[in-house]
Order: sequence, then structure tokens, then C-alpha cells
Amino acid sequence: MSLRVTPGMMHMQLSRNLNRNLAQMDSLQNQLTTGRKINKPSDDPVGITYSLRYRTELASNEQFQKNADAAHSWLDFNDTVLGQAGDVMKRIKELTVNGSNGTNPQDALDSINSELTQLKSQLIDIANSKLNGKYVFNGQQFDKLPYDVNAPGFDAKQVVTDAGDVSYAVGVGVTLPVNISGNEVFGTGNPVEADNVFSVLDNIISNFAVGNQAGAAAQLGNLASRDAKITNARSEVGAKVNRIELMQNRLDDLGINLTDMQSKTEDADYDKLLIDSKINENIYQASLSVGAKVISPSLVDFLH
Amino acid sequence: MTSTFHSIETAKRSLFAQQTSINTVGHNISNANTEGYSRQRVTMTAARPMEAFGINRSTSAGQLGTGVEATAINRVRTSFLDDQFRNQSKYLGAWSVQSDTLNKLESIVNEPSDSGIRTVMDKFYQAWSDLSKDPENVTGRKIVRETALALTDSFNQTSKQMQDLSADLTSSIDVKATEANTYINTISSLNTQIRRIESLGDDANDLRDQRDLLTDKLSQIVNINVTQAPEGYNISMGGTNLVAGDTVTPLTPAALEAAFQTGDLNSGEVFGMITSRDVYVADYVKQLDTLANTLATGNIQVTVPAGSVLPGTTTPLATATTMTVQGINGLHKLGYTMGNPATGADDFFTFKAGATGFTAASMQLNANITSDTNNIATSMRTTTTGGTSTVVVGNNSLALLMSGLNEVKFTFDQSATGNGISEATINNFYSSMVGALGVQSQEALRQYQNSTAQTEQVDSNRQAVSGVSLDEEMSDLVKYQHAYGAAARFMTTFDQLLEKLINGTGVVGR
Repeated sequence: MSLRVTPGMMHMQLSRNLNRNLAQMDSLQNQLTTGRKINKPSDDPVGITYSLRYRTELASNEQFQKNADAAHSWLDFNDTVLGQAGDVMKRIKELTVNGSNGTNPQDALDSINSELTQLKSQLIDIANSKLNGKYVFNGQQFDKLPYDVNAPGFDAKQVVTDAGDVSYAVGVGVTLPVNISGNEVFGTGNPVEADNVFSVLDNIISNFAVGNQAGAAAQLGNLASRDAKITNARSEVGAKVNRIELMQNRLDDLGINLTDMQSKTEDADYDKLLIDSKINENIYQASLSVGAKVISPSLVDFLH
Repeated sequence: MTSTFHSIETAKRSLFAQQTSINTVGHNISNANTEGYSRQRVTMTAARPMEAFGINRSTSAGQLGTGVEATAINRVRTSFLDDQFRNQSKYLGAWSVQSDTLNKLESIVNEPSDSGIRTVMDKFYQAWSDLSKDPENVTGRKIVRETALALTDSFNQTSKQMQDLSADLTSSIDVKATEANTYINTISSLNTQIRRIESLGDDANDLRDQRDLLTDKLSQIVNINVTQAPEGYNISMGGTNLVAGDTVTPLTPAALEAAFQTGDLNSGEVFGMITSRDVYVADYVKQLDTLANTLATGNIQVTVPAGSVLPGTTTPLATATTMTVQGINGLHKLGYTMGNPATGADDFFTFKAGATGFTAASMQLNANITSDTNNIATSMRTTTTGGTSTVVVGNNSLALLMSGLNEVKFTFDQSATGNGISEATINNFYSSMVGALGVQSQEALRQYQNSTAQTEQVDSNRQAVSGVSLDEEMSDLVKYQHAYGAAARFMTTFDQLLEKLINGTGVVGR
């Protein structure tokens, strides 16, 4: 169809083209200023479902990282405290061995006893350790003092600590118990375990008090088995620290991967955008100047 | 036998005819930018010659011409292109409204962003996760409360915005009905005027242009079918007559809705509005309601860890037990508040007074929790001494289960989902909803651009036929000006002949 071309058509076409060009520029500039190529669902409907998923996964990943950090500091604290308990145990063993070598007069045994009493208090202090306001050896009852010396009829060896796990979520469906109960470390309370550290200490002290060195020496076996249990608990904490560190590494890697994938889905390609936008600008200016030339003249301008 | 003054008459006719043409050129130029104007042409015909067929024929040779006559002034227009245009513009009208609505829905949903429902939900789960680390901590509880409030607020507000959009569309339908009625009324009165004028034999060009323009505009609002009858344009929408000659059936919003139901109304802006409101917006409101309802009460499977004491019992579970509970509410009710003696927790979410169930609009945080964060349950364990149960506040089992809910599949009510998902995590459901919105919006935009291009194409074709070209009019003007000049010169020449005849001949006797 051979078209008659009228100025009206040319105006329409020109303004349509200019408009299209402007719309294109608007979209490019929107991407440039937000730095994202998906600014609304219709920009990339498939991309946005991924984008939403990555964002959610990143959010929970960050949360897991925070939780893992907290778990790590709890485990570190356990390690320190168990180290202290180990030191105390070593000293108790030394004193017991010294006291039971047969040559000690009663007053030496009495002074050993007074140090042992102090060490017992020290162990109770350790058993009452607190991190962020929580008694770390009292399981889920961490708001309650486990070895309350002021309680009526208090007897350290009778204390039953809570056995509940304090668990931290460190991954999807992964929870990690970070606590050790006091009874696990110091011996169960009810019935009193043979190597319950407080019961052992009480036995040693009462034997030394009456000069029964052999009786005190008989406790050395229990002392050794308790010491081994404390060391075991400490190495278990160490193993958990390793696990949490592995977890942290994995979470870090996952975070990087997710950020990377999110960026690939959402982020604008600046190089391309800048070039596109420059090209678009040029086209726009060209169409403006061509438009200005094309539109004005008609026969009216030339006829006299 | 011709008259002495025959050629004066011929010259005069020519002057008149050329003048009519020049006037018409002027009219065209004046209306070069008038919307809906089609250029007009003067039809010039050689006037009836002398010596017509008959008995009283003279003996002079030939048929002597008597000059020119302007017999008609017509529009240059192709009605086929009008039909095409109206067929396209109804799609343009429908898709422009639908694309616009979906665009608005996209900005209501506002994704991807740091303030959409997804972010708010992430924050909610994060708050629970933080609380699981310090379940005895008041600050953590307050943060859970605030994020829960943000969550319900987001649902409430998104729902409100969608309801507003729906209401806007309803009032737009009213406005469009009124607009259509003014067009219909004017078209019918133009029908009358045109018939009256044309009964005298003339063409009512400018009135016809107006009628076509109004018909074009009407075609964008509703789908119309135009037939040309002796009494004027008959316009119908499906099986409904809108204009028949000078009778009019006005459109009411109710009539439009009914026509939508019967299929009489199947495109045009009003169709787009009703579709947007009853299909798109209604569907997203429904999906959002389903989401809120499922979050609060949808079936989920949770594994209650060993050592937990279920409400109403005092014996701790010996082994971890998997059970089905009703959403966040059901899960929350497995735990205990911080109160002493141990009290089973209440629903986490409730719905507003007057509502009959959980919807995005009615969902709210339980008022007990809003006023006292100790009513947030985190613990699933109690200890019993002397017949009194006490909550183990350090137990974080419930908080852990809550924070893990973003990975748990909820059972959605299949009949209400609207997007065919029966079991999915809340996030999956939400992102599939957003994704579907994206697809619909993209499709609507594409259709809109398509129909724009096609309408523009047809309009261009129409312009090519009917548009005023100034170049053309100018050359016509020159042509007619010269013809007018020549006719005047002819008159002068003949005047000189007569001058010679009257004043220069027969000087005998002077």
C-alpha cells in the first residue's frame, strides 16, 4: 500500500519513537541507579523467585552464623572452665599423694586439709560458673544457681544438676548442644557416684583429719578416674569447637556462594548498562535533531 | 444558439467552483491538527452542456460546454480502516488497564525489597532464633513481639492496599460508564443531525468526523460493533444495543457487570477493569489470605524433642515425637508461658473482632502477647515438685522449632490457594505468588505493547488516507489559485471581446 505521508503521521511517529527511547532510557537509568536488573517481579519473573529464595537463605545463613558465634563462645568458655577444674584436680592429687606418704605429722595433714577445703570451694565456684548470666553447668535450668552453698542442708556431692541440653541452631535442621551438665563433670549427686569429686574430697579430708593416711590414699583411684572424666569432657568440648568451626567455615562459604548467586540474579551489569545507556542517549539526541529538521519545513516555507 | 453573455456565465461558474475548492483547502489546512478530522475534497464536474438531447435542437455544431460546477464536498476516508481501528482499540483498552493494575499490584507486593513480606518473615524467624539463644531474656521476647507485629502489619497493610485497588477499580468502572454514556448520547444526537442534513442531499462531513471520533473513543471503553444503517450508526456491545439511530440504551455499572458475566462485554477498558478486579486483585487477595491463614493454622509436622512435657501432662517424653500441629498457633500451644505455676501457652495469632477466620486483613498478634511478652512460649519443659509444675525457662525447644519453621512445609488449603500449591514452605508459596504476578504483568505489558503497535499501525494507515498533508494542500491551493486567476483572465478576455463588439464595432453614423 503506497502511503501518503502527512505531517500528522510524522509527528505521531516521531513522538512515538522519542517516547520509546525515553522509556528505554528510564529503564536503563533505573537499573543504573538501583544497581539491580530486577526491580519488580515482571522484570524477570523466574529470576525473582530465585532472588527471593537467595535473600531468605542469606538471612537465615546470617542468623546461623550469629548462632554459631554464640555457640563458639559458650564452648570456649566451657573449655576455659574445664581447664581450671583440671588444674584444681592436679593440685588435689598432689596434696593427697603428699599427705599419704606416711611421714607427715598430724599438723601437716591439717594444713593439707585446709588447702583441700579451699580447693573444694574453688571447685564449687567453678561449678557455678556463669556466662552471660547463665550458669553453664546447670543444663536448661541455667537461671538457677546449681551449687548453692547458702541453701539449708547444702552438700555439694548431693547436688543434682539439670541434664537438659542447651542447643543452638547452627544450620537448617542442625542443632548443637553446647553445654555439659555439672554432674557429668563433677560426678552425679543422687545416688552419689563413687568418684563424685566432692564426695572424694570429703572422704580424703575426713581421713586426713583422723590421720588415716591409707584411707586417703585409697581415694587416689577415684581421683584419677574423675580427672580422666574431666579431661574427657574437655576433649569433647574441643571436638565440638572443631565441629562448630567447620560449621562456621561452611556457613561462610555458603554465604559467599549465596551472595554470588544473588548478585548474578539481581545485580545490574554496569559495563553493559553504561554502554547501553550511552548508546541510547546518542540515539535519543540524534532522533531529536533529526526530528527538528524533518518536522518544520513544508511547502508553506518555500512558496511565496 | 448561445447567448452573447454565455462565456461570462462560464467564467463566473469557474470562479465560484475554484473558490469553493480554495475554501475547502483553507478548511483542510485549518483542521490539519484537529483530532478525528478527515480531509475533504471538492468534486468538480463539467456543467451540463448546451444542446441537450431533445426536439428543439438547434443546428449549431457540437455540444458547447458551460463550464464547471462543484457538485459535492466529500470526506476522504475508508470505513474499513475505521472498523479495523475499533477492533484493535478494544484490546488496547483492555490490556492497558490490566497492565496498569498488575503494575500497581507489583508495587504493592514490593519485591525484591528490604521491606516486603518476605523480609518481615525472615526477621520474624531470626528473632525466634535469637530468642532461642536467650529464652529467659526479656529483650529477645520484645524483639519477637515487634517482628510479629511487623509481620501482621505487613499482611494487614498489603491486604488493605489490594482492597483499595479493588475499590478504585469499581469507581473507575462508574466513571467509564458515565464517559461511555456521554459518547453514546452524542453519537445518537449526531445520527439525528446527520440524517437531517443529508436528507437535503449534502454530506455532513464534519459531523460525520465527530461521530467517527466519538465511536473510536467508545471502542476503547467497551467492545462495540458498528453498523451503518439509513438512520445512522447502530452500535451494539455483544448482544446489547447501545445506539440504534436516535434511541439510546445507557450503560450502568450493573449492566456492564451483567454483560461481563454473559460475555457480551469481552474487551475494552471496562472489561479490563472488571477482569483486573475480579480475577487478578481478587486472586492475590485470596492467595495472601491463604498465606496468612496457613501461617497461623496450616498443618505442619514438628518433632518435639525428648524431655519435653506436653501441656496437660506431667511426664516428659521419653523419645523425640513427631506430630502434626496447626500452624504457628498449634506449635505455640505446645509450649508454656513464663508464668508460674506452668501454664500452657495460648494462640500466637488471633483474628480481629468481627472476622470469621484468619485472613491477611484480620490477622493480628494475640493481645495477651502484645501486652505481656511473658506470654510468648519458648519452653516445652516443666518440672513437677510437690504437685506444682514449674516452667524450665532455659528450655528453648519451642523457640528452636519456631525459628526452623521457615524450612517446614505447611499444608495449604488446596481449594483456596489459587496457585495450585498444596504443600510448601511459606517462602515457596510466597515466591511462587510473586513469580506468577511477574509473569502475568510481563504478559499484560507485552499484550499492551502489541495492541498499541497494532492500533498505531491502523491509525497510521488511516492517517495516510485521511490526514491533511500541508504540502498537498499548498500545491492544491496554488493550483486552484491559478485556475481562479485564469478564469478571471478569461472573464477579462471575454469582457474585451464584448468591449470590441459594443464599443469598437458599428461605428458607422457616429
